Amino acid sequence: MAFVLTFLIRRLAQGVVIVLLVTFLIFTLLRVIPGDPVRIMLGPATTQAVVEARAQELGLRDSIPEQFVRYIAKAVQGDFGESYFIGETGIALTAQNVVGGKGQDTATEQREAKMTRAGVLKVIADGLPYTLMLAGMGLLFTLLMAVPLGIAAGLNQEKWQDRLAFFIGSVFISLPNFWLALVLILLITARAGLLPSIGYKGFGYVILPAIVLAVELAPIIIRGLSMSIAQALQAGYVSGGIVRGLPWRQIIVRHVLRNSSIPMLNLFGVQIGGLLLGGVFVTEFVFDYPGVGRSTVQAVLQRDFPVIQGVAILAASILVLANIMVDLASTFIDRRLKF
Amino acid sequence: MAAETGTSSAARGRGESVTRRMFRLAWEMTSFKIGLGVFIVLVGAAIIWPELSPYDPMKISVRERFLPPIFLEGGTWAHIAGTDQLGRDLFVRSLVGLRNGLGIAAAAVAIMFVVGCALGVISGYWGRWVDIILMRITDAQLSIPVIVLAITILSVSRPNPFTVTAVLVLAGWPIYARVVRSIALAEREREYVRGAKILGASDLRIAALMISPNILPPIAFVAVLDIARMMIFEALFGFLGIGIQPPTPTFGNIIADGYKYLVNSWWIPTMPGVFLILTLISINLMGASLERARNKLFKGIV
Repeated sequence: MAFVLTFLIRRLAQGVVIVLLVTFLIFTLLRVIPGDPVRIMLGPATTQAVVEARAQELGLRDSIPEQFVRYIAKAVQGDFGESYFIGETGIALTAQNVVGGKGQDTATEQREAKMTRAGVLKVIADGLPYTLMLAGMGLLFTLLMAVPLGIAAGLNQEKWQDRLAFFIGSVFISLPNFWLALVLILLITARAGLLPSIGYKGFGYVILPAIVLAVELAPIIIRGLSMSIAQALQAGYVSGGIVRGLPWRQIIVRHVLRNSSIPMLNLFGVQIGGLLLGGVFVTEFVFDYPGVGRSTVQAVLQRDFPVIQGVAILAASILVLANIMVDLASTFIDRRLKF
Repeated sequence: MAAETGTSSAARGRGESVTRRMFRLAWEMTSFKIGLGVFIVLVGAAIIWPELSPYDPMKISVRERFLPPIFLEGGTWAHIAGTDQLGRDLFVRSLVGLRNGLGIAAAAVAIMFVVGCALGVISGYWGRWVDIILMRITDAQLSIPVIVLAITILSVSRPNPFTVTAVLVLAGWPIYARVVRSIALAEREREYVRGAKILGASDLRIAALMISPNILPPIAFVAVLDIARMMIFEALFGFLGIGIQPPTPTFGNIIADGYKYLVNSWWIPTMPGVFLILTLISINLMGASLERARNKLFKGIV
């Protein structure tokens, strides 16, 4: 198992570099682009001097590399800073309820506001269970929909199963997730009253957002699966199996499906991971679902630097880890693949 | 099987004939013809109708608010897709939105194709440190969800057609760079490249005039599919309020503005989506058909 260990160490080291790069990119982007979070935080009525003092206090006027090093040093110890806008109790600290929009008594009120600001880790931890549940249900629906269709299409190239998969794939990939979300809210929740949505008050609220996610992800799996199965059917071991007199079912299950699962795993690493992350942000936003995605969209609209950075690190780490696990899993399925 | 491999590898030697064969194969598919037909009708309407129509896509008309589309009770031929909360004709607005969305998406794909492929060829052909640096950058870029990248940039930099296009290019180039790099890497070892080197051709000449024309056409067709993907992103940005700003109509901002009226006047947020989806389906049908044609053509080689 020594090779697994060296593989893991090497890939994890590469992964750390990637995550650092992502963090630096987001970090720089946030600071280079015009728009001052302190200005948004304190409201338009605050004097420039107060804004400047607050920015100094938050360390936002130092050079970017300086800020970055300080941030990383803290992050390594598990301190990702505090949200600029979200209070400890989860209530948003807007310009109005932080400083009364006036600019007087700002010093004391600022201090109070600072005392109650929520840690980035807490903001993420609060939303994560909801997001994981949504992502899990979304993936489940995706697989239920895409795997049977993809396999049927791959095994029956140029027949009706293949045409059906092609048609469904082309239609599903053309449905923008936010539009589908609106239509489902209208038809299922508002008109028919079959399933609840908007917000979260119980398990039923996950289903519609998860369906939206599944419609977005399914076409990729359907296409990938049918293509790799069709390709695997051409391989030498299939005719070899026929010559050896193996039952067709056994050739398919043991050899064709097994071999075509490797490209599928790779698909899961990059494309599905990325799409799932993006889809979660949008569906949570439209359905007002209380997960990490909704907090992130709000954070970006308010320029809540610490939260955006925390989520970016989280997202990049998940993608990197997913890719490592995918590569590891593929080598267990197919021993020929060297690390 | 053997004959097929023979003809397609022969075709592969001459870039032009691959293109023509792909088109002929795709043209034989019904899905391609349907896609092309719908696309031509929609784009034709988007180019012509806003100029001929009596309605200004931005003009507010209080007396004609909330008119339903033609297929509902109370709908009139005057406003086939109904009117919105400010009395603006949704048909004209959707068509102008189509113009804007398709224009931005096509421009973005063209730029990301050129930039991504150029960097990919450089990375794959020259290798060494250029390759290492470029590939780590694509790794990092691909690990940032497009939405996070987009809202980060667009929420502050006053979105306009140029910034929206720039964000799409930024999000899309790494995939082209990676695909082209892996092909260029293999292409570098082929006979014709070595032959050209022996004859004294410069690296730039080989990369730009020999490798690129050989490997790019099949990828260019896949880029068609990307136009649909970018149109979805453009609409999504508009929906999140970080796309092109109202009153200029885009699919996204019409839907976002009409969201409030979802329950009582459902056609306002959904009708523009119907036009968007028709456009997307037509592009995806064409793109997927071309891709299938390519897969048939290259069967047994890749």
